[in-house]
Amino acid sequence: MKILDEKEPGLLKRAVRGDEQAFLVLYRKHQAPLYRYALRMTGSPWAAEEVVQEVFLLLIREPQKFQPDRGELGAFLFGVTRNRVMKHLERRPREDSLDEINANGNVWREPQDPLTPMMIAEKSERIEQVREAVLELPAEFREAVVLCELEEMSYEEAAQACGCPVGTIRSRLHRGRALLLAKLELLRDAPRRASAGAK
Amino acid sequence: MKKVIKMMSCEQFELLGLDMDRPDAQPEEAAAAAEHAANCAGCFAMLESWRELKQDLRLLHEHTRLESAPTRVEMRLKQELRTRREARVPRSTVAIATWALAAAAALAATIGWMHWRDGISNHTDTTSLQVAAVVQNNAVPTLDALLLTADYDTGEFTQLPGSMPTASSDESVLQARVQRGALVQFGLPVAPEQAAEWVDVDFLVGEDGQPLAVRLHQDASSESVTQ
Repeated sequence: MKILDEKEPGLLKRAVRGDEQAFLVLYRKHQAPLYRYALRMTGSPWAAEEVVQEVFLLLIREPQKFQPDRGELGAFLFGVTRNRVMKHLERRPREDSLDEINANGNVWREPQDPLTPMMIAEKSERIEQVREAVLELPAEFREAVVLCELEEMSYEEAAQACGCPVGTIRSRLHRGRALLLAKLELLRDAPRRASAGAK
Repeated sequence: MKKVIKMMSCEQFELLGLDMDRPDAQPEEAAAAAEHAANCAGCFAMLESWRELKQDLRLLHEHTRLESAPTRVEMRLKQELRTRREARVPRSTVAIATWALAAAAALAATIGWMHWRDGISNHTDTTSLQVAAVVQNNAVPTLDALLLTADYDTGEFTQLPGSMPTASSDESVLQARVQRGALVQFGLPVAPEQAAEWVDVDFLVGEDGQPLAVRLHQDASSESVTQ
């Protein structure tokens, strides 16, 4: 049987016994979404990197914490990541912004785009404004926006990930959207309507 | 339900209306929200703002969708995995070595105890012989009794009872002339009839000053007795 076809609990057992290939299969499958979530929540590539590293170190050092009968490995890893991110946010609400330097230490460049330099600059500015506005949301609203709008999870998936009812997620998302709208309308000097949620 | 949706208010639109573009939106809700937005300028403006924001969020999503942890994280985790794997091998080696050492110590203790016990029984025997030597001082020595004490002129030392063989080079040889009866205190058996004889003795003395072995030289005076 190919290693990629093997089920995750089996791969994890092998990984814990020191099988590097098995571990890498698990790591490469799960690390990117966890990293993006941590990055979007903390706004810091360094914090996101640290969080992902801690999550997988925990998996190596204390694999018994994952119990396959209680859910999928992905859900377990997301739960651990979420806890770490929340702890990070409690410790340092917002240490640094997602700036030009990405986690690999390279200068962050706009992807090649058939737009004029002016349009590229405008697009970058908009993205940066949205990123800043998302990062300024309170953590629970930010999480709902990140999961439902950026990670494009359904309400059910987001509720499962956060361990709360669907109604709570919808309510948080509603408040998050309202705050985002108010913030961006102010930034862009184009107020259309002040939302009740932002008041 | 359908009736309620048809009568969607501004408050309801705020709660549900912005979901109308989501793929998992309820079709009835989406229809009611669209209808409300078409008839309410304020809610329509909010919907437009949201759609604009949604576009920006999509841009952000597109921009970061390929983000992943830097490769150095993978390297560090691999290193941790290797360290743990390597640490596991010496642990088992240490366990085996510990058991081997414990077994060796137990064996050495058993052998030591057996030697000690033999020494005690020899000492008891020689004490009775010593008493006998005092009583039968004038008896004639026999060759058997002589051989019991030590080898003559073989050049070899005879290990004293209770002493352990040693490979140390810090031993020295002490020469003395003693009465054969004095050898009893070193645990050597002495025939009572020979106890008064004078013999030249080489003691092999350990670095702690304790005699380890003995070698007897038959001198002229005693030679006549032994032959």
